[in-house]
Amino acid sequence: MIRLEDVSKTYRTDRIETRALDHVQLTIDKGEFVAIMGPSGCGKTTLLNLMGLLDVPTSGRVVLDEKPVATSRDRELSRLRNEKVGFIFQSFHLVPDLTVLDNVEIPLLYRRMSGKDRRRMALAALDRVGLSSRVHHFPSQLSGGQQQRVAVARALVGRPQVLLADEPTGNLDSQMGEEILGLLASANADGTTVVMVTHDPRMAERAHRVVRLFDGRQIQ
Amino acid sequence: MLRSYLKLAWKVLLRRKFFTFASLFGVAFTLLVLTVATALLDHVFAPHAPETRMSRTLGLYGLAETGPTSTRTYFAGWPFVKRYMQDLPGAEKVALLQIQHEVDSYPRGRKVASYLKRTDGAFWQVLDFEFLEGQPYTEDDERQARPVAVINETTRARFFGEGTVAVGRTIEVDGQRFRVVGVVKDVPFLRVVPFADVWVPISTARSDAYKREFVGDFFALVLADPARHGELRREFAARVAAARPPDPRTFTRFYGGLESLFEFASRSLFSPRLETAHPGRLQGLLAGLALLFMLLPAINLVNLNLSRILERTGEIGVRKAFGASSWTLVGQFVVESLMLSLVGGALGFVLSGVVLRLLNATGVIPYAHLTLNLRIFLWGVVFSAAFGLLSGAYPAWRMSRLHPVEALRGRTR
Repeated sequence: MIRLEDVSKTYRTDRIETRALDHVQLTIDKGEFVAIMGPSGCGKTTLLNLMGLLDVPTSGRVVLDEKPVATSRDRELSRLRNEKVGFIFQSFHLVPDLTVLDNVEIPLLYRRMSGKDRRRMALAALDRVGLSSRVHHFPSQLSGGQQQRVAVARALVGRPQVLLADEPTGNLDSQMGEEILGLLASANADGTTVVMVTHDPRMAERAHRVVRLFDGRQIQ
Repeated sequence: MLRSYLKLAWKVLLRRKFFTFASLFGVAFTLLVLTVATALLDHVFAPHAPETRMSRTLGLYGLAETGPTSTRTYFAGWPFVKRYMQDLPGAEKVALLQIQHEVDSYPRGRKVASYLKRTDGAFWQVLDFEFLEGQPYTEDDERQARPVAVINETTRARFFGEGTVAVGRTIEVDGQRFRVVGVVKDVPFLRVVPFADVWVPISTARSDAYKREFVGDFFALVLADPARHGELRREFAARVAAARPPDPRTFTRFYGGLESLFEFASRSLFSPRLETAHPGRLQGLLAGLALLFMLLPAINLVNLNLSRILERTGEIGVRKAFGASSWTLVGQFVVESLMLSLVGGALGFVLSGVVLRLLNATGVIPYAHLTLNLRIFLWGVVFSAAFGLLSGAYPAWRMSRLHPVEALRGRTR
């Protein structure tokens, strides 16, 4: 599904060069639930960003569905992200001026799709995360757990092949965290590949496989 | 997608009330000035009564004599028009009119200043005056030099009082007495061709010196099928080129053409010897001035737009993560900017209606009837859209280049 071949990523400023990832080899198979663990600053989020085509490696290559990803074409990368990847962020990243329903529709805006179909799919996704009664609320009117459920609905609405979750429970209490994890497990049970960055070993236990990073290197 | 963008744009505008007020004020004021300027140009050049047949009318509005050392520009004289404008191919009517001049009268013991214009009888057939009383004088009246006059409604009120009948009564203008045969609605001062307070036949002039002067103060109008305008223009140009000025030692040839008033304006502006009309250049100049006028407020709005969009870096990151390409985001932010400028434009349009009413009421421009119409509205939409693009394109482009990872972190570089 996703293969990182000898991927390195270096960030450079005028004076400092930081190697965030160092020759990582990683394959995520279709339908897997993988947790990525490691201490802060070890490169977990960078790894997730490269898998989600939000960033490009300094060296090595990313292969998606057996096709190397062309890293220079904005339109092509955008299309791949839209069709194949769904993101869940630690801080939810909902658009505050949009209603819950409008937020969930965002990925569908970039597909050739009628407004009616968009609405139908967004409502179905919200129903799946148990927020059918909150569709016209704004994010500020929801609790943290509800906001993250909206973010899960937004990530799933386009039926992506892979769900990338960056500390999805990091800002939630344990009960809410469990609920979110349940939603990820459910999506995985339906065939969606899930890759989740987490600090929490209990959360990682739910994954099929744990990848550990340290100082940008894969140690397990 | 467009609906979603507009909905979001509207919410952002409502959220940032001060920004919205400042932006709308700038846009509305800029477009107010542009709309008033457009209304003035429309008032001068566009077809309005009594010049409703503009598309069928060509005019000779000026002439130049040139020689090896000097050039003289002036209006055509009576003999020039009579000699070179007879039997033009396709011409249905050729009308002759003098430029109006101010004259004093003393009706009922009060001094009244009026504009007097001398015309031939065809003038009333080429133009489309609205008669409130009576009728125009005829070509026969002109031939017979009958002392008859057409006056406007304001002159009727000044000479005979409000609500009275003027036809059949006599007025004294410029030391001559005329019998009123018709009363027309007031014609705005800026309509240079038909404007006057009192119109009388050319032949009633106290001297016939005008019949001998090549240099005069005449306009000539030619009514013809637009399909034959090209042929008419070419024929007249050939006649002008072949014409010999009365003083061949100083001047060797004439320049002038049959054209619209706008074309003549371009000829006198860009061609000192009146050789050629440059309507495209004049249109370009007007568009350039409008653009220049919009530029400064647009630059201010660019800064406001940038700060507004900077607050939304997180949203840009999310949209990129979920598949928006850079160009899609440019489209979104340009739509927002266009929406703001169109709302501002609508406000400016309404305000310009108020300003035009005030201008009409002050009487600064005699008999002005400055109005808003569909043509001016469409120009307003064009100006608003241009303003929106000018002020929105750069911020949209800059923000669309944000790296998605940096944008998700709330960074703007």
